[in-house]
Amino acid sequence: MTTDGQLPGAPALPPAAVPESYETSDGDWLRVHPASPFVRGWVALAAILFFFGRDLFERTLQGQPVFEDGFARRAPWLLGGGAAVLAVAVLGFVLTWYFTKYQVSGGYVRVNTGLLFRQHRQARLDRVQAIDIVQPLLARIFGLAELKFEVADAGESAVRLAYLRIDDARRLRATILARASGAEADSGAGPAAGIDGAALAGPAGLSAASFGPYASEAPEIQVLRVPPSRLIGSLLLSEQSFFIVVGGIVSVLLSALTDNRAFYFYLVPAALGLAAGYWNFFNKGYNFTAAVSPDGIRLRYGLLDTQAQTLPPGRIQAVKIAQPPLWRPFGWYRMQVNVAGYGTSGNAAEGNTRTILLPVGKFADVMAMLSLVLPDPGTERPAELFAAGLGGTGSDGGFTTTPRRAWLLAPLAWRRNGFAATDTALLIRSGRWWRDLVLVPHQRTQSLAIHQGPVARLFRVADLVLHTTAGPVAPRLTQAGLDEARQLFDEQSARARLARRRQTTEQWLRQVVPAAEPAAVPGTPVPGAPHPGTPHHGAPAREARTHHEQEGQQHG
Amino acid sequence: MRTEAIDPPGIAWQRVSPKYVTVQLVEWALANVLAVLVLSAPLVLVLLGWWRWPPLWLAVTVPAVTLLVALWRLVLIPRQVRAIGYAERDDDLLVRSGIFFQRTMAVPYGRMQYVDIAVGPVERGLGLCTVKLHTASPGTNARIPGLPAAEGARLREQLAARGEARLAGL
Repeated sequence: MTTDGQLPGAPALPPAAVPESYETSDGDWLRVHPASPFVRGWVALAAILFFFGRDLFERTLQGQPVFEDGFARRAPWLLGGGAAVLAVAVLGFVLTWYFTKYQVSGGYVRVNTGLLFRQHRQARLDRVQAIDIVQPLLARIFGLAELKFEVADAGESAVRLAYLRIDDARRLRATILARASGAEADSGAGPAAGIDGAALAGPAGLSAASFGPYASEAPEIQVLRVPPSRLIGSLLLSEQSFFIVVGGIVSVLLSALTDNRAFYFYLVPAALGLAAGYWNFFNKGYNFTAAVSPDGIRLRYGLLDTQAQTLPPGRIQAVKIAQPPLWRPFGWYRMQVNVAGYGTSGNAAEGNTRTILLPVGKFADVMAMLSLVLPDPGTERPAELFAAGLGGTGSDGGFTTTPRRAWLLAPLAWRRNGFAATDTALLIRSGRWWRDLVLVPHQRTQSLAIHQGPVARLFRVADLVLHTTAGPVAPRLTQAGLDEARQLFDEQSARARLARRRQTTEQWLRQVVPAAEPAAVPGTPVPGAPHPGTPHHGAPAREARTHHEQEGQQHG
Repeated sequence: MRTEAIDPPGIAWQRVSPKYVTVQLVEWALANVLAVLVLSAPLVLVLLGWWRWPPLWLAVTVPAVTLLVALWRLVLIPRQVRAIGYAERDDDLLVRSGIFFQRTMAVPYGRMQYVDIAVGPVERGLGLCTVKLHTASPGTNARIPGLPAAEGARLREQLAARGEARLAGL
């Protein structure tokens, strides 16, 4: 017997977002662009063409007559068969297109797909975690784009709309973001953009006209751009290049020593794989730009396939800033994030690219991105703190490191391994050669745990693990002194609790405490601008802690 | 060496039912008796003279070591069960486990997405159940095994009520 107690998930709708009846006049059911199945299914079409074309091609190559003797007899069959296959494919495409409909209304996006196996997906707008506009090369040629949004709602993660005209995709993104942010009321009483049912209930048909009037795109300011030269440099100096060079040298040496040419052959597939890997990185990371708008962080990148990601404020669950040893002379860093839904996307490679917040950047770029991710760093001197987190050792910048007694557990890194807590985030620093700094906003901590094994117990140290959504960042504070870990465990619970209380709604523009308003100006790379609306809440945190200790005693 | 607890002091832990030892014993038996039997097969065959290859010392050592480890784990089971505990605080649920490898976890009520109750065949016979908590993080691997069925139901209701009152987004 297994019983499911459905906890909060569904029932806690704010009154404004209660879904209206299914046939609401708020949003019409719209279809994606008619060409989209062809763009998506071009592989199938290409396969058919290939199948029929190959024979012809080979004949021409071999100098045989294109039409053999019995061709006249078989031609009707061949043509008929080909036409039938083509017709079935096209019919399938048309039907897929016909039965794919979407609607934005009543605080929900609904997407219906499928002919035989119908699938209805609906996603709550205020749970939107990220919106991507993806343009594969072919779609880009046709001016189409795929809209993909991640929703943190009962299990179903990504909702995809492929393909829309690029302008429609942008408008739809703006609409969804406007509603998700709470800038526009779901009822249509939005003062800014004046949506109402009538304006929306345009002629049923393609979306171009009906999305026109409402939700203009939020203005954005470019924050940084990664020059291609730096991207290439970072690729050449990446860990994989290092191992390649080592592998190459080893195989050449082995060949020379053993007089065996076979070792060279290993280099060929390795080089091929490598070229593909580099190309992939370059293609994905080319022209990486980051911009900020009231709707959140906009990331754009790609050479052939382009992608534009929008991460609304407060959706980033954890950030990791890493510096491999080879990047250190250049002062380059890489930033990765956890966003709900990104980590669980089926395609691992796709998930990897999407979680990159900054492929390669200097310290100033890192600070600029941090100011977007964490507009309120919760400390007086953020630049100093983050610099200490990225490059410092010991207790500079207010970090607490592994106690000296446990140096044997991490002879090189013990001065680096440490943590510092600001009012809004926990910073976890680690690594001597591979330098890492992980940031977890208190608001985003899901749960936390202390772990201790027998060896750690000998040295009276323990690990503190913060749980966030799935992704490349796994925040773990290693080998903290037991007392510090225990204290941090308590404090962190209290801070997370307080932060949760301050976050009243998922609609970021409607937050009571306007903590998420990105006030970053590109010229000032320091995320230190104190926010007028954000109280310094060091005192409440302390208060909450004492309160929490009392609770513990009550239960004791 | 006396084990120093890693959890914050001053918490009254609720312990799980001692009957959970039985569940663990059954699981232990299923896993280990079978393993030891299988690993002893070569020994028997060698002793009977049917097999030549594993030398006698190897044929003896492998099952013997397995048996020792199994017995060691058997001895630990009651202590491990006693080490499992949970405490409902005002805003989060603490779950702890382990002696050698200790773990203490705090799961805020507002973060719980849903709560499962799972009952295995042995547990059902003993009137026990396992409560599992899920948050948006796959890392939250919080389960409280060996709860009496009534306590499990109460805990689930309690967690649901508290979760709803303190619901936070992601």
